[in-house]
Amino acid sequence: MEAPPVTMMPVTGGTINMMEYLLQGSVLDHSLESLIHRLRGLCDNMEPETFVDHEMVFLLKGQQASPFVLRARRSLDRAGAPWHLRYLGQPEMGDKNRHALVRNCVDIATSENLTDFLMEMGFRMDHEFVARGHLFRKGIMKIVVYKIFRILVPGNTDNTEALSLSYLVELSVVAPAGQDMVSDDMRNFAEQLKPLVHLEKIDPKRLM
Amino acid sequence: MQREEKQLEASLDALLSQVADLKNSLGSFIYKLENEYDRLTWPSVLDSFALLSGQLNTLNKVLKHEKTPLFRNQVIIPLVLSPDRDEDLMRQTEGRVPVFSHEVVPDHLRTKPDPEVEEQEKQLTTDAARIGADAAQKQIQSLNKMCSNLLEKISKEERESESGGLRPNKQTFNPADTNALVAAVAFGKGLSNWRPSGSSGPSQPGQPGAGTVLAGASGLQQVQMAGAPNQQQPVLSGVQMAQAGQPGKMPSGIKTNIKSASMHPYQRPCFPDSSLAISPGYVTRPPGRDRPHLQLWR
Repeated sequence: MEAPPVTMMPVTGGTINMMEYLLQGSVLDHSLESLIHRLRGLCDNMEPETFVDHEMVFLLKGQQASPFVLRARRSLDRAGAPWHLRYLGQPEMGDKNRHALVRNCVDIATSENLTDFLMEMGFRMDHEFVARGHLFRKGIMKIVVYKIFRILVPGNTDNTEALSLSYLVELSVVAPAGQDMVSDDMRNFAEQLKPLVHLEKIDPKRLM
Repeated sequence: MQREEKQLEASLDALLSQVADLKNSLGSFIYKLENEYDRLTWPSVLDSFALLSGQLNTLNKVLKHEKTPLFRNQVIIPLVLSPDRDEDLMRQTEGRVPVFSHEVVPDHLRTKPDPEVEEQEKQLTTDAARIGADAAQKQIQSLNKMCSNLLEKISKEERESESGGLRPNKQTFNPADTNALVAAVAFGKGLSNWRPSGSSGPSQPGQPGAGTVLAGASGLQQVQMAGAPNQQQPVLSGVQMAQAGQPGKMPSGIKTNIKSASMHPYQRPCFPDSSLAISPGYVTRPPGRDRPHLQLWR
């Protein structure tokens, strides 16, 4: 069963509903270097951070129509890093002025037996991929440039092939619900990356 | 007579002012060359030359003006030559001509060029006359043609280099790729989709259809799962997970309503319909754990 829309949920102490604001685009391989240079200039000054992550998407199919989706991610290049479990809700539609895709987001770190746990709960893995790329930050904005690799032999993360000749570029912010000025900041930042990359709000439903 | 005199005076004044301007710009150019030669750039020199050329042009225009009487018809005759210093003259010439004497007059009131220069000019004119009108015409034409060719080449080069700079040299992103990547991340389009249907191997990449599962959202395409071939899938419904923002809060508040299991013979033991705490004792390995696709997680 899908979680009810955020606006209907009563605020009953404890946690704040976090929303993820997202803008996506892509860049071809040969232009990656220029994009990285530009991001290094625009973003906060830190060591360039690369990452290799293995993400698995789990589905829980109920009697209802839509399955419940959880995303489990683990780092392939950082030993000892915790696994990361994420729930992403449906994109909130309606406000055409909002410049970013907004969806409910729940993030948590877990231990390594996450997959066992999920299987026991009845989740089944739907698909998996390896993401390899770079991470940048600017304030609360996170910019990730990564390439998606298809896993050819299930479970074997070494045997991968690239899905396309492009890198996916994502600009995301996780912020409490209701802070729409965040999307304005994101749009201003996205303007600075043109014409290398066009970051825009892409509705996944359109791409079914 | 009066009118002509007035015209003469007016044109003389105009000429004087033009010449004064020219003198000033020449002076500043020389100063620039002498004092700032190490910092001088070619565009700056070009600017000075352009200024000079502009002023010469206006001077020419003034001379050609219809109101200007022909100066050729005027003659300047020195009336008094004296070797004494003349203060007035000094003032007027800004200290350059102190004495109006025999040495100064031939230079300043000259109307013909130097004898050597005159000789050269005469020679050139005789050469030109010697060639003959036709040959001269041909030479003029070939010169014009070469000049125009050169100009054309230069302008073409300039145009090409400009357009080369303006043209975006290459596309830096591919919108189709963007869509493909977003679809892959959102719901696994193009990635190997795992179907726990017991059949071996990953489904063909890029095969949408029954196997395609969509990222969690209501109202999306329902995944058709036939009951019988899908073993060991107890039907769980109504899983609600508390919104836990920080690590460590995850285990709390998990309520599972577990309805009856599937009809398949290989099914888990039935649980009571109640809140279920996950305890070690509960976990029984469901049959088929050694199924190939599950061996991943060992």
